Amino acid sequence: MEIDVERLKEIVGEKNVRDNIADLYVYGSDSSVHEANPSVVVRPETIEEVQEIVRYANAELIPVIARGAGSGASGHTVPIDGGIVMDLKRINRILAIRPRDILCKVEPGVVWDDLNRALQPYGLWFPSAPESGRIATIGGAIANNGSGVRAIKYGTMRDYVLGMKVVLANGDLVTLGADTRAQASGYQLDRLIVGSEGTLGIIVEATLLLRHLPKFRAMGMAKFNKLEDAGETISDIVASEVTPSLLELVDDIAITALNKTLNMNLPQVEAIVVYECDGRLKEAVNYDMETIKEVCEKHNAFGIEMGSDAKEMERIYSGRKKLFAALSRYREGFVCTSLADDMAVPSSKIAECARKIHEIGERNHVVMNAYGHCGIGLLHTKILMEATRKEQWENARRAVEEVYDYVRSVGGTTSGEHGIAISKAPSWKKEKADSLQMMKAIKMALDPNNILNPHKLMDAPDDWVTATKLRYPVEL
Amino acid sequence: MEFNRLRKWGNELNICIRCGYCYEHCPLYKVSNWEIDTPRGRLLLAYGLLTGEVEPSTYVAEKLFQCFYCKNCSKSCSAKVSPTDIFTDVRADLMESGFEVQGTTVRNAEKLCIACERCVSVCKSEALSMDMENMRVLVDKVKCKGCGVCVAECPVGAMSQKEGFGVSKKELSAKIESSLRSMNGIPKVIIFCCDWSIYPGLRLSRMELTGAENTSGIIVTVCAGRIDPGLILDTFYQGAWGMMIACCPLDECEHDGNYRAQERCALVERLLGVLGVEPQRLKLEHFATGEAQKLKNAVDSFVSEIASLGPI
Repeated sequence: MEIDVERLKEIVGEKNVRDNIADLYVYGSDSSVHEANPSVVVRPETIEEVQEIVRYANAELIPVIARGAGSGASGHTVPIDGGIVMDLKRINRILAIRPRDILCKVEPGVVWDDLNRALQPYGLWFPSAPESGRIATIGGAIANNGSGVRAIKYGTMRDYVLGMKVVLANGDLVTLGADTRAQASGYQLDRLIVGSEGTLGIIVEATLLLRHLPKFRAMGMAKFNKLEDAGETISDIVASEVTPSLLELVDDIAITALNKTLNMNLPQVEAIVVYECDGRLKEAVNYDMETIKEVCEKHNAFGIEMGSDAKEMERIYSGRKKLFAALSRYREGFVCTSLADDMAVPSSKIAECARKIHEIGERNHVVMNAYGHCGIGLLHTKILMEATRKEQWENARRAVEEVYDYVRSVGGTTSGEHGIAISKAPSWKKEKADSLQMMKAIKMALDPNNILNPHKLMDAPDDWVTATKLRYPVEL
Repeated sequence: MEFNRLRKWGNELNICIRCGYCYEHCPLYKVSNWEIDTPRGRLLLAYGLLTGEVEPSTYVAEKLFQCFYCKNCSKSCSAKVSPTDIFTDVRADLMESGFEVQGTTVRNAEKLCIACERCVSVCKSEALSMDMENMRVLVDKVKCKGCGVCVAECPVGAMSQKEGFGVSKKELSAKIESSLRSMNGIPKVIIFCCDWSIYPGLRLSRMELTGAENTSGIIVTVCAGRIDPGLILDTFYQGAWGMMIACCPLDECEHDGNYRAQERCALVERLLGVLGVEPQRLKLEHFATGEAQKLKNAVDSFVSEIASLGPI
């Protein structure tokens, strides 16, 4: 693959193109276990520049990988075949905030939390920001259909994108959707782009639905001696008339990690459930909080704590918030990898799934815990392992496969939040077996030369371990 | 090439999940917007040096010698890695291998230096020492944290930092000029904010500043200790009605830059008095990390105080 770097410099200017090995190495990584260097990195500043780059790449059959913050955990922006990594962080203006239409228009490089800071004076927000919202760009979040801890009440990105402008593989600019919430039949191509992981087009503008900032919030925490009791509680809450704004599970391995590494002094129980309600009326929020408390008590919860001022809520949530740091330091020589890290199962299967995850980890000599946004059936896990030992990757491969076999067997899905890309493609391809041809046909129709983020989703390699070089120093 | 000091951080480099949260508040990334200038980017370079995937070069060394040690990266690290400690060790390894570059460290122009040792006395990182035999100041580039306190302290302009990071006297002066130029029909107020304590708070409070963002030029200086009396006077000379220096609480500045700023403010206040200018047009305030509300209130009340005073 020959890339005319001078041509790219003509398009975006010399100072916005880098092709030295040090920069390429940096842009070859994200938050996944994968790494592969691009051939060149370009930073366009306008839609026209994006179009020009894509037209050039399409004519020369060069892969183009759109990149936001590079915070993806599954290898979305890792360029398996090299090519052009297009850093979109400079296309980052908030174009309009229209409170009376309760929408905003933004460019793809706008950082999620920055958007919320801009919306705050209007009493509005763009839910439900993930932890990575501090750096994650709206473009990346749309491409991944991102969400956050409050998805149980506020949904995911797909529920908020009203429309967008997209540069297609041939360089054409198309306007999808409308500025309205009501949009009737016809192919909803904007929805197709959400979650397409940069394989169908490059998002260069988005129209987003907004919500009003809740006036009151309250948070609670309940402890359970049995994981199954916590699971029953979660199912009952989800099936109740109350819609909490957050419903999180923290398992015993996570509690051990928090106590061991951060001296958090949490009771060593099998599960903790953290919940939050929000709304316009304090009385209504408190009423919902009481209802949830009653459900917890019915299932033998104890030590229930509730609070509604910022400090109390911060204390209640601190364990969940610091969990990642604690898991990273769980055992000397172990690292915390983002593998099988966001499967979703029907709510009634949460406890069973958490137990399975523990068993599978133990059987395969890696440590796996379960926590996450159980209110939407989503469980996060991390595989804690010695990443420099070859056999540990065999163990991880087996553990991942077994977890996903179970998830599919109960009607769950491979990824509820972090996306498919490379790491999760093998299981996802099994899950979507009878629709893969349909997806391939769509891809072929929109990107016949396969230049947009190739080798991801249905086209990803069948073995995630060998799909790219691993980011850890290990010989396989 | 041996990277003996860096090698001991191998496990930490593996523990880093590469989530990128470290670059949210990185002042160097804010200037260049290239990922190689983020803490994650520099950690990746260090990792690449260890594995041999990145060859040591002047370019790579220059990147690894660029850090202001504000440690916002360590504070936001989701895996509790300390990037700055790793950068210090990789710098030492690179120096040993002959890659001596300037990065964000200070440089002493020997021809201008009068060997007064004032720079040595204000350097809290012990990066400066006096070579008595040759009567010259030596800079330890591994220890230098780039705070710029010595640059502001030097009476003859012998100490300097490279431009391109937005904090040299010339760049700060240019930022002041463009901020003041953009303020039409509103109180012309310049707020200098240190990066160590203020910047994250500033980001949190940014949109709550009740329009203060439009009525004041907020300029991030990385450390208040780099503001010298000349820059303060220059700010007024350029047409500012008032100027606030926001820095860390007294014993919390890693570089003692807040003490230096306090001394310099006291000096300039006296000068302003002599010149017949109200000394209250210059204000120094202390803020701890996360004191967004205090910062907002202080900025709002200062702007309204200056508005009532009007232009000089």
